[in-house]
Amino acid sequence: MRVNPNPIADILASIALDQQTQETALAQLASGRRVNLPSDDPAAAATLSLNHAQASQDDQFLQVISGVSARLQVADSTIGSVVSSLDRAISLGIEGGGGATLSNANRSAIVTELQGLQQQILGLANTSFQGSYIFAGTASTAAPFSANPASPSGVSYAGNTGTNTLAVGQSFSVTVNLPGSQLFSGTGGDVFQSLQDLIVAVQNNTGIDTAVLGLRKAFDVVTTQRVFYGNVLQQLDAQQTSINSEKLQLARQENAVGGADPAAAASAAVSAATARTAALQAATSLLNTSLFNFLK
Amino acid sequence: MGSLFSSLTIAVGALQAEQGALNVTSNNVANVNTPGYARQRAVFHEGVPVELPPLVFGTGVVFGQPQSVRDDILELRLHEETQQQGQFDAEVQQLQQAQTGFQGTNDVGTQLTNFFNSLNKLSADPSSQPLRQGFLTAAGNLASSFQTTARSLEIQRTNIDQSVVQSVSQINTLTQQIAGQNQQIAALENVHEDAGVLISQRTESIRQLSQLIDVRVVPNESSISLTTANGALLVASSQSFALSAQVSPSGVQHIFSQGNDITGKLSGGSLNGLITVRDQSIPGLLNQLDTLAAGLSTTLNGIHRAGFDLNGAAGGDLFTPPPVGVTGAASSISVAITDPSLVAASSDGSPGSNGNAAALYNVRGQAVANGQNPFDYYASVVFNVGNGVATAQTESQASGQILQQLTDQRNSISAVSLDEEGANLLRYQNAYQAAAKVITTINELTQAAVNLGTY
Repeated sequence: MRVNPNPIADILASIALDQQTQETALAQLASGRRVNLPSDDPAAAATLSLNHAQASQDDQFLQVISGVSARLQVADSTIGSVVSSLDRAISLGIEGGGGATLSNANRSAIVTELQGLQQQILGLANTSFQGSYIFAGTASTAAPFSANPASPSGVSYAGNTGTNTLAVGQSFSVTVNLPGSQLFSGTGGDVFQSLQDLIVAVQNNTGIDTAVLGLRKAFDVVTTQRVFYGNVLQQLDAQQTSINSEKLQLARQENAVGGADPAAAASAAVSAATARTAALQAATSLLNTSLFNFLK
Repeated sequence: MGSLFSSLTIAVGALQAEQGALNVTSNNVANVNTPGYARQRAVFHEGVPVELPPLVFGTGVVFGQPQSVRDDILELRLHEETQQQGQFDAEVQQLQQAQTGFQGTNDVGTQLTNFFNSLNKLSADPSSQPLRQGFLTAAGNLASSFQTTARSLEIQRTNIDQSVVQSVSQINTLTQQIAGQNQQIAALENVHEDAGVLISQRTESIRQLSQLIDVRVVPNESSISLTTANGALLVASSQSFALSAQVSPSGVQHIFSQGNDITGKLSGGSLNGLITVRDQSIPGLLNQLDTLAAGLSTTLNGIHRAGFDLNGAAGGDLFTPPPVGVTGAASSISVAITDPSLVAASSDGSPGSNGNAAALYNVRGQAVANGQNPFDYYASVVFNVGNGVATAQTESQASGQILQQLTDQRNSISAVSLDEEGANLLRYQNAYQAAAKVITTINELTQAAVNLGTY
């Protein structure tokens, strides 16, 4: 059988193949990635597209959790202040219920302090965070509570009962606000009404015990509602941990699916380089051989 | 009985034959790098012997017609594989270009993620103007990533259309050339001369044609005809039939052979690769982008209209509604509102409500295109793009290897070996020198014979 006298094309093809293998391996080593174009591994590219979307969403969830946690902490500490104000009001009520031993001047001092507490709680109920009122329901662009002598409680509520829920995970949402109506005038106790009742009772020196009882109920409602913030903050904390571990998983998946294997890439680069050198040497000696060199 | 003069005639014939052989060798050496050249072999015949009973004398050598060494069946097989290779190479080249729009940091997938992330941000503080603006910017980026990807595919399609026209004119040049070669070959063969060199040229022309289109070689009585695999006539003996390209109602160039549209009937060659990418691959990708853009904008618009903007008014469309029938949705999608306060984030009319923003956000997990959520659908588009390129690459490599083997085989039969020519050169040189020596010797003998009478 006659041999192909013109092997240059074959040699060039095999040199080009070695060169390509070498370049691919070097590119993998340099970028650390095995899948740079969809055609490198179509299934892996599809998985990576989802992986990147999820990782980016997780970063977003972490951001939103830290933002909303700050707001919830402000709300929680605000209610903490409301609770201590109410606590003080209850003590004042008990003091005011001391009967005949209390002078009119003392009672009016108590009334003044109670009115101060009323103002303070009104201020706290209108707390805003980054321009939005946190106890206004979803009508959060305007202060929800305002002093109103015409109202029996002395205060009127302009907010609504709307709540917002926020996605903080692939399939996990939390409610992030309590409307002021539910917090300050919920079922079983109305903060402003019972404060107003106590002020009137101390002023008139009658029915103080009943008024204190009413205030205690309002106090209980507020402390019960406060648990909501603690719960959400705890959930967000847990969610943060779970998202961080999910991110770790995603990073692992990304490496497993799209990452280059440095050891394999390095050895592929070396063996391709060796093969290429060998092919080049073989080519040089082969292409230099011709009978014409010897016909002198 | 032999004579000195008959020996002289034999020696002169030998000189001529060796000269002819040297000529063949020289021609082979000269064409060592000519594409498609098939080496020629010097043919020697023994002269018809002279009978002078009871003796028989040889009359030397006759130099025959040099033969081209070629395996016609193998050449046909090479043409066919060249057609496959031409098609796959064209597909790989075009699809690689198409897939660049589906990777990197500005592709639809990245912008989809950014869009939904900005919605999640907005949900946390729905009345914030900067966040509303951020959401509109993300929506704008999503729309423009759809547009950019779709438009670059459309531009590529237009460019391919121009390549189709160029290919048709290349095909016509080649078929004209082959018809001319057929005529020359027939002219030589009619007077019983060897047309080997011309046949080599024609074979090379057919190989070039095979890169462009699926050619079938049909031998006829004295020549060959060329048709496409589907039977459209390209060359009949010395006449060529030009293909023509005409813009079809669908806006792309269709190819006609003698009035018949053969666009969808090709089965190989780079022309078919171009047409496949132009008429199937790219429209397929565009359709997937359109489906996603239309599904996403329709779903988001429906939800957006159900909500309320910052002023408590009912929301309008978020994106411009997709065209009826989906086609063109990706290249025409844009954000319908520019005023951030018109973003309908609220579900109850109050500015602080995030109910509708949350509903819009939930679209990320809803079936919007072919029963899949936007991320899963886009991932399947990425898979399809990559798989198209990878499949074409694999086919091109496989066809390339077969072509390489066939070329090796063809070369082992037809290519010029310089070593062989060198050896032949020595043989013919020695034989020539020997024949020359015979002439010198006969000359001396003749001198001797003439001088016999002088003593």
